[in-house]
Amino acid sequence: MSTAPPTSALPPARTPAWPLSRAAIGLWITQGVLVALAPVVGAVVVAFAVPDSVGGPVPVLRWLLPALAVVFAGVLIGVRPWVRFRVHHWEVTDEAVYTLTGWLTRTWTLVPISRIQTVDVTRGAMQQLFGLSTVAVLTASSQGTVHIPHLSADIAQRVADDLAHRAERVRDQAT
Amino acid sequence: MSAPAGQRTAAPAAVRTSPLVVLVHTITFRQARRFAGSFLPLAALIGIRGGSATAVLVIGAVAVFSLVTAVLSWWRFSYADGAASVVVTRGLLSRSVRTVPNDRVRGVEIETPALHRVFGLVRVRIDAAAGAMKDDEEELVVDGVTRAEGDRLRVSVLTHRSGADTAGDDGVPGAPVEEEFTRFDNRWLLYAPLVGSYLALPLAVAGALYRAVDDLPDSVLPALPGPDLAHPGVLALLAGIAVVLLLLGSVVGAALVNWGFRLVRRGGSLISVRGLITRRHTELEIDRIRGATVSAGLGMRLVRAARVNALMTGLGDAGRRGQLLPLGPSSEAWRLARRLVEDPGPLVAHPPAARRRRLGRALFPGLAVTAGGIVVALAVGWWELLAVGVVLLAAGVPLGLGRYAALGHATGPRSFAVRSGFLLEEQAILQRRAVVGWRVRQTFFQRRAGLATVVACVGAGSGGYAAVDLGAADVAAFAAAASEPWSETLSPRVP
Repeated sequence: MSTAPPTSALPPARTPAWPLSRAAIGLWITQGVLVALAPVVGAVVVAFAVPDSVGGPVPVLRWLLPALAVVFAGVLIGVRPWVRFRVHHWEVTDEAVYTLTGWLTRTWTLVPISRIQTVDVTRGAMQQLFGLSTVAVLTASSQGTVHIPHLSADIAQRVADDLAHRAERVRDQAT
Repeated sequence: MSAPAGQRTAAPAAVRTSPLVVLVHTITFRQARRFAGSFLPLAALIGIRGGSATAVLVIGAVAVFSLVTAVLSWWRFSYADGAASVVVTRGLLSRSVRTVPNDRVRGVEIETPALHRVFGLVRVRIDAAAGAMKDDEEELVVDGVTRAEGDRLRVSVLTHRSGADTAGDDGVPGAPVEEEFTRFDNRWLLYAPLVGSYLALPLAVAGALYRAVDDLPDSVLPALPGPDLAHPGVLALLAGIAVVLLLLGSVVGAALVNWGFRLVRRGGSLISVRGLITRRHTELEIDRIRGATVSAGLGMRLVRAARVNALMTGLGDAGRRGQLLPLGPSSEAWRLARRLVEDPGPLVAHPPAARRRRLGRALFPGLAVTAGGIVVALAVGWWELLAVGVVLLAAGVPLGLGRYAALGHATGPRSFAVRSGFLLEEQAILQRRAVVGWRVRQTFFQRRAGLATVVACVGAGSGGYAAVDLGAADVAAFAAAASEPWSETLSPRVP
């Protein structure tokens, strides 16, 4: 946008201070491998099993499908985990919990500690392999939930305990 | 508040509902209904075998069965409202006792179906906050008490909440200070055909009728000579009749639901009463109001009509209960909304990039279909798809512009507003204290255009109200102006 003033290139909100645990990259790469496996295998099977003699668009597809699958896998495994790690940040201030998540679409979520209703810590099966936990902070609003994904387990537990404790003290009506 | 004189003892006596309700339930087969499925085949068998005498016998037996079940369930049902909680005991064989602390009660609704009114009875619904409950268990229903007892129960439950102490004189039956907010003008019923939900009402009735007639065996139906559908005049006439019936049906439907609608303030509560056949009496605590929405569809905007809903924390079935003006002129709607929430002032339009984005999104399906149409037209020679694409493209322009024109936001000293939607425009006006969180979303394309969508998370209504395509640079300032100081966390730190 050449006509837009330079300020519009700035992000709409400040980036929170703290990055996630680096182990998150490993987790995302593993997830990427699992997701990319099916299309890559499928495309390779097509390339070797279908003969050129079928005619029609098949000779082109034989090379196009594996190429697309490889690009897809490359983005999922080689690009997305790193971009995500660069984007994801979180912070707990005196007053609020603040996160930034996403990679193409970015989401900043801010919830004041005084309006916290519940704090959950969850550890998925794969997260356990990497020693990670997700902290979910719930409020009275169905849309006002903060997820801090992939913190190292001990930090997650400390954050959750601290938030629950502080929420109890400063809680007003919480609605 | 420690035990004022005259307060009930900790374990109040359990009371039954009025015995008259047995008659109501016998007539409506309320309890017998659930056994109907197993009885119908049996009854049909007997009915076919025997003559008219047997049929009378069957009908008599069903009536007696209904009476017996109604008596039993009346006998086994009791309720008790104490200083701290409401206890409802019921169940024929397996007893269930539900205790709801008064603090958990979100509201009390009194409804009067037609038959209840004949016997001077009401049905009291006590809305109990319980997130994990199934829908039908969220309420305690005390069905069939006298009107006076219903009012006593409502006042008793609502005034014994710990939070209600400050409300003072409200709820004392002798001194109701009433202030009328709105009274329904029957001329407003004419807006009904412009509201989708009312228009759907006669369609649903017609569908049910058609299915019922379809189920009847052909021998029962008289062989009517069908109209000559081939004639265009006949077809036009039938279509005309259908449209008139549809319009009439929507007005009648709106009248049934909204007849005699009245909204008054009594002490700390807003009380709405409405309905022709079933009267509903809903009480909303003003303390829990966090905002209001004023919404109007495209058709309603043409005639300057609108509807108002209250956004309340912890209100079950909020779409129906929260209605403050089901139908009415927009001037009335705005007068009402401003009475509940301070007006944040005129709306600010969103940046020109938002218009480009709205237009682009509205034109995209048209463009895609047109491109496909061109390919098809060149390849196969079908021009129909191309024509559809061009029409879509043409329709996308007013749609995109309209959707941009609807966007707006405003912040005032104690409240803020956001507006969006073209086919159904909705403006939400919210108090600053309503916001329990902020969510800023920026897609890849929004980032390129310097826009972002900001959702104010609210523990009322739909849970979040969005300012769509705000200028990215305005986001932090909007959030800071629209909620309490904690939201300054979003703003870039001053070095």
